[in-house]
This record gives sequence, C-alpha cells and structure tokens, in this order.
Amino acid sequence: MMPEEFIQHANPKGSLETIGKRLPRIDAGKRVTGEAIYPADMHLPGMAIAKLKRSPHAHAKILSIDTTKALALDGVLAVVTAEDFPDLEPGTSVPMGQGSCDVWMVGQINMARHKVLWVGQPVAAVAAVDKHIAEQALELIEVHYEVLDAVFTMEDAQAETAPILHDSIRTSGLDAPINKPSNICSRTIFERGDCDTGVTSSHAVTEVSVSIDTAHQGYIEPQAVVAKYDREGLTTMWVSTQGHFTAELVTAKILGIPQSKIRVIPLEIGGGFGGKVFVHGEPVAAKLSEKSSKPIKLVFSREEVLQGGSGPTAAMQAKVTVGANSDGRINTLIAKVHVDAGGLPNMSPAIILQVLAALYQTPNLFLEGYDVVTNKPRTEAYRAPGGIQAAFAMEQAIDQMSEKLDMDPLNFRKKNFAVTGSIMPAGTPFPCIGVQEIAEAIAKHPCWTTPLEPGEMPRGRGLAFGYWRGTSMTSACHVTISGDGRPMFTLGSVDISGSSTAMAQVAAEQFQMPLQDVYVATGDSKSVGYTDIAAASRVTRTMASAVVDASQKALDELKIRAATLIQRMPSELTYDHGSFRTADVGGPSISSAEVMQSTLTQGAIVCHGISTDLPFGVEVGAHVCDVEVDEDTGQITVLRYTAFQDVGLAINPAAVEGQIEGSVVQGLGWAITEGFDYGDDGRLRNASLLDYRIPTALDVPSIETVLLQKPVPGVPYGLRGVGEVPIVPVAACVANAVYRATGARMTQMPMTPERVLTAIQANKTN
Amino acid sequence: MSKEILACTVNGDKQSSLIDPRDTLLEFLRDRLGLTGTKEGCSNGNCGSCTVIVDGQTLCSCLMFAAEAQECEITTVEGLATVEGFHEVQDALVRHGGTQCGFCTPGVLMSAVGLFNENPNPNEDEIRLAIAGNICRCTGYEKIVKALQDVTANGEVA
Repeated sequence: MMPEEFIQHANPKGSLETIGKRLPRIDAGKRVTGEAIYPADMHLPGMAIAKLKRSPHAHAKILSIDTTKALALDGVLAVVTAEDFPDLEPGTSVPMGQGSCDVWMVGQINMARHKVLWVGQPVAAVAAVDKHIAEQALELIEVHYEVLDAVFTMEDAQAETAPILHDSIRTSGLDAPINKPSNICSRTIFERGDCDTGVTSSHAVTEVSVSIDTAHQGYIEPQAVVAKYDREGLTTMWVSTQGHFTAELVTAKILGIPQSKIRVIPLEIGGGFGGKVFVHGEPVAAKLSEKSSKPIKLVFSREEVLQGGSGPTAAMQAKVTVGANSDGRINTLIAKVHVDAGGLPNMSPAIILQVLAALYQTPNLFLEGYDVVTNKPRTEAYRAPGGIQAAFAMEQAIDQMSEKLDMDPLNFRKKNFAVTGSIMPAGTPFPCIGVQEIAEAIAKHPCWTTPLEPGEMPRGRGLAFGYWRGTSMTSACHVTISGDGRPMFTLGSVDISGSSTAMAQVAAEQFQMPLQDVYVATGDSKSVGYTDIAAASRVTRTMASAVVDASQKALDELKIRAATLIQRMPSELTYDHGSFRTADVGGPSISSAEVMQSTLTQGAIVCHGISTDLPFGVEVGAHVCDVEVDEDTGQITVLRYTAFQDVGLAINPAAVEGQIEGSVVQGLGWAITEGFDYGDDGRLRNASLLDYRIPTALDVPSIETVLLQKPVPGVPYGLRGVGEVPIVPVAACVANAVYRATGARMTQMPMTPERVLTAIQANKTN
Repeated sequence: MSKEILACTVNGDKQSSLIDPRDTLLEFLRDRLGLTGTKEGCSNGNCGSCTVIVDGQTLCSCLMFAAEAQECEITTVEGLATVEGFHEVQDALVRHGGTQCGFCTPGVLMSAVGLFNENPNPNEDEIRLAIAGNICRCTGYEKIVKALQDVTANGEVA
C-alpha cells in the first residue's frame, strides 16, 4: 500500500509509472561527448581575456593603485579597480529565500576597497587581447599597501590585543552589549532546563573537544564567466552558478545598474557544492566589457580557486559535553562552537547548533556559537554547511557516552532519538522522519551484524548519524503545451544534482506520457520568474511541486478546450495518458494532440508553476564503516562503507544513490586528507590539487547505499531533501571506527596519518 | 611571439594550424581547434580533466606543449562516438549514471579507453588504478567503476 503522499498525484490507476524509475540523465549524452558547454568553453568574436590582480598580503590598507603602466602596454584593453564600482554601504543586500544575500560582502569578495583582508583578495583586473599580455599587465599595476598585523587563528582573533579586521563590527547577541570593535561578529544561544544541575545529577558525563581545519568544496571546474556589454547598454553574462537570479540581483547592485540591463544565462556547472552560490568575478568581467567594448572571458586558475579567489568552508572548534542517567537516557547536552568566517562576517552559527543537537532528546540544553573573523578567505557554504564539523564533535561524544554506559552504540542512540513532535533546540517540533526505521535497518544489515574480520593491523567499526534541515525557498517554472499536445517545461533552477532529469520524470508522470515526450530545460534570468538558488537540498523537491502546479493548470486548460471540441462539460472528462474521455461507454474522446491541432492558433497554453514555503524536507542518514589503522604510520584505510538514508521518495534511485556516494567520498576526503594548511603569513601552502588531497578512485572503497522511503506530509510525492545529509556523519563515523580500532579518540580533522599517530601514541602513554 | 605551424591528426582529421610556441596541447585543442570537450581543471596534471590519447599514450594535455605534438595522432572525447552511436565506454557511463556535473567525464572516458585499449578485461583494482589520475568530485567513483566493470562484462571494446 502506497502512502497517501505518494499516490495523491498518481495516475488514475493509482500507481507511479515514471517516478521511481532508475533512468539515465536526460543530459548524459552531451556530457559523455564533450558537447556540454561550460562558460570556459564559450568563444565570442573579438573576445578578450581578463585576469585579476590579487593581494599578496593578509591584512593591509590599500594606499594607492596606479594602473598607468598597465594601460600603456600594447594589447591591454581595460583595467578596473574598486573605483569603477559604487561604494556600497555595509548592510546592502538583496532578497534570498526567507532571508537575504549580503551584497556588500559579495562586493568585497569580488574587489577589495580601501583594505585587503586575506591573501588572494582581488584588488584590480585587466582585460587584454590574450592571456599572456593580461598576465604581463598585472605585473605593471602598482599597488601600494600599508601592511597591518594579521590574525589567522580564532584564538588570536579573540585576544584582547588582537588587530581588528572591521572597525564597524560589534559582537551581537551578548547578554551585556560591548560598544567596542571586535573580531567576534555574533554570539548565538539556545537554552533550556538547567545544565549545571543536569551535569551534577548525571550518572555519567563525557566530553569531546575537536578542531576542524578549513576545507574546500573542490569542484573540478574553476570559476568562469563570459560577459558581453552591448551597444544598447545590456550586459549578458554566461555563468557557472548555483543561482542565476541571485547572480543577476547581486551583480546589478554591485555594478549600480538596473536589473533590466543585465541578463544571466546559466551554462553547465562543473560542480558547486555551495561554492558557486555567490558571484566570483562576474561583476568585474561585466565592467571590463563595458570599458573595453569587447566580450570578456574570465577563468580562474586552480591556484586562484584555492588561494583566496573563492571561499573554502569554515574551520571550526567545538566542545560537546553530554550527561546521561544510569538508565541510558541523556539528561544534559552542552556545546560550545566557534566558527571561522574568514575575512568577512558569515552567518550566525544558529543552524550549526541546531544540527548538532537535533537528533537527541534532552531536558537540559545549552548551545553557544560564535562567528569569528580572521585574515583568511571569506568562507562559503559547502554541502550541509557546518554539518560534518558539528557531527564530528557530537557523534563522537555520543559514541563515547555509549561506551561509558557499556551500551551498544546503536541501542544507546535508539533510546535517545528525537521523535516526531519532540522539541528541538530552537523550540520547533521534530519532524516526521524515519530515524527509528534507519536504526532498525542498520540492526538487520550485514554491515552491522557480520563480525569484523581481524586483519594484520587493528580494525574497528564505526557508526554515526547525521541530521540536516535544508530549506524550501521558492521555485518557479512554466509549461507551454506544444502543437502536438506535449508539455515543454522551462525551469528557473540550474541543475546541480540531476534535478532536470527528475523534473522530466515528474512532468512525464503528471502528463502520463513517456519520458521522451516531455521537454525540460533551464531558462535564463529573463525567461522564468524568480527562483532561489540551487542549494540547501531544495531544488528537486520544491521544483517538483512547481511542476505539479503548472501541470495541473495546463491540464485544466486542455480539458476546457477538449470539452468545447467534443461538446461536453469539462467536469465530465477524465484525463488518461494523453487523452480526455467521458465515463460513458462508447462516448467521445479526444487526445491532447488533437486539442492542440485544433486550437493552437487561438493561442498557446502557457501555465506558471510556483512553489514557495513548502514544508521542510528534513534529512536524516546514518553511516557504518569498517577501517584498518596502520599503527606505525597512522594511515587509515576504509575497508567498507554503508550509508542509510530516509529519502522520502526517490524520484530516480540511481541519481539519489549518486548523491549519497559522492557525498560520502567528499566526507572521506575531509575526514582523512583534506585540510587547508596556512603559513604564518596567511598564505595557503597547499594551493594545488596535488597538495590539497581530494580522494581518488584508489583511496575509497565501494560505497553501499540503503534507501528508506518515509514521505514528508503535505508535500507532493512526499519528497524530501537528499543531497546534503550524506556528508554529515562521515568524519564522525570514521573517527568512531578509528577509536574502536585503536582506543584513540580523534580530536582533529582531517585525521591525517601524523595526527592519528600522535593520538595513538598519546593514548598508549596514558 | 613568433608563431609556428603544427601538423597533426586529431580524431582522424589532419590538422595544420598556426600555434604560439607557449601553447599547451590543451590550449591548442580548446582555443585553436575549438574542441572544448577536453577540460582544464588545474593546469598542473593533478586533476586529469584534460586527459587525451596521443599516439596510443594516455596523458594530460596541459602538461604537453602543442609543439611536441608534431605529426602525432591525437584522440579527444569528441573522437569517441561515431555516426552509429556511442563508444561502449560512453554508453556504459550513461546507463550507469557515471556522469554527474560532467566536467571530469571527458578525462575519465579517455583514461578508460586507454585502459581498455591495453587490457580488454581489467578487474576492479585495475579499473580504479587506470582512473586514479582523474579526480571526480561528484560521483564518489562508485558508478564510474560499475560502468567500466560492465564494459568488461560485455567484453566488446573498440
């Protein structure tokens, strides 16, 4: 029996025909032939090449910039600096989702003004007839700096005598406000019960402190844009972005032009993972095009991507204290989290704190988070931002407590899991999701029940759970019914996860047609109404809702036309696989192809679909892994990895598995090898893909996925978010396995051989 | 800088083109011939997105000067499919979901074709080794490896 949410939009037979099928991506063909076009692949007649000049200092005042010599070089077409852009007030923003996007901040990422805050922040840009001349011209731009003292760690940034990055920042959220500039941007608190009493009355108390290095999203396509300013004053930009509407809003503000004078065309995106939400160079390319009257191509090098040109994700420090009763119930949870924003303020750590504590019930809770600025690149989102860091602390603490209580780590969790309706840290009810179902599935799965075979080196099995909220925001699409009655959808979202294929499946389901009979494509910023960014696990489920909305409206219009043509009332007609029929045997019927054949020239059927503020599609997953640890070298080898996840309903199980497998391997990268290594001068010492070590096919085992499907109430097809939570438990899962193998608790991430070895040796000494 | 003429064969077509001696083979393919299927992800030979086959040898085209390709036979991703259809390796990646964002895909395909040219029946370890120079950030390699194992099972590779 299918749950209600699955069947409410099903065909007359009450079944799903295309949704749930394991189908190839509709755009796979162009991906395997080299025909998929990314911005760096664009070529326009007369196109010039842009390069950015970047700060060599981590913290300095810009005293002057002299571009005379660069402009005099033969082949140089234009130079821009911050002077070419309006000086935006701090706080300037544009709408994004339920909140806003800080345009002042994005402006600073694109071009420093007055002051540089990290190594690699752009200070000027040049356009030239080829890249060699552009590079030569960069050397001729003379920037005079007054170098300031810099801070690179959160400890140093919080010191009483620390150099201040932003004179305007006062710490928000303090009990007693301090009217003095600070590198601590915000303090966030969630509190309930009485933790002091909780701790003293606990049967057992355990504590875990962790420190996590900055990591990078590691998309293989560096940032790239082509911009063309035309004689009518319209700027067209071909971009690789997670949100072309946001890119348009932000770029228009940074350039100080009306939105009507900018059009953003999203091309293929070679990976984003949160790192392509903001624009990185798009406004600069647009300005260079305006000044040179040439189309401009700007492509980052890999070194630029890593060395301050794009935001990596936040380093974090977290301390978690858990208290439990003798019956195995948690009674206290205390967490203190410091998040490294980089050179410009980031969001408050509210979401990170909620994610950290969401899965467990406790009467006493105190969560405290700080957003701290340091002289490093402004950090940006990376797949469930903050989630893997928070879980690295929390899920190790949970593991440690289960051991202290001499309980099985799965049973200890089962005893303490939040249940539908229990109160979450922010006071909201815990959603309906298959947490217990996942636990039951693990308890029966061979990855958990089969004893770990001993090897030559110590082996251990780890378990960790993860929670991610995601969000909904707004998605829009429209459908036009073609002259042969088939639907043609234009979506407002870019495809970062196979979402266009999923939408084709939803459209095929709605129109009860084969997949090849529906057309689905992403529109540019002038073709479909506003759609929020492709992020926060929201596109597939919210766009599906918009596609359902548009489909229902279009089918209603078709039905009215059909009824007129066969001289019946619309209410007498039923839609069934491309035709409208009456209930009476032998009664008339008409296909949508015939309807459009007869009525197309009276005007097309065009219907808009919008999804806004859909109920959240919260995600929960759990991972089990077996590792082997070389106690002589500290090397961790992952032998087996299994990921369980409640995915609501998998529109395309192959795509869902692909999201989970990729997510797990990203998590393994950060868990074991990936971390930014900054020198004493704030310069990244491993700014290449040789030294910043992303997993290869040889570094990871086969990833097994187990999909559970518990629908989200009130959402078409019961869809929930999928793509983010599978990174959340990974590092904690590996750490718990390393602990079981060696007895050493891992407090630093990534768990490099050196760190593992140090932890093992320290554990033996104790 | 003075230009020179490069004569070589790309995907079966004879090419004769003016090049800048500073051009890499990757820049020659992308910027001079417009064969943009071959991708630039790092310019250091670390990511493998620019992998092509030169005289039977799988290599990173960002690490070779165009001028070194004089009289060479080069195959890029654009040279795999024919009018009859996909190369078997392309077909396998499509069927198994072995491509997501697609940026690493051309390089993965060329490494895989290079592997099958030398070893028609590789095991999983040999497959993983052959694509170890191709970083994929989306798939976790799972469905790429499964796809290439399927090619092995079918045992028909050009």
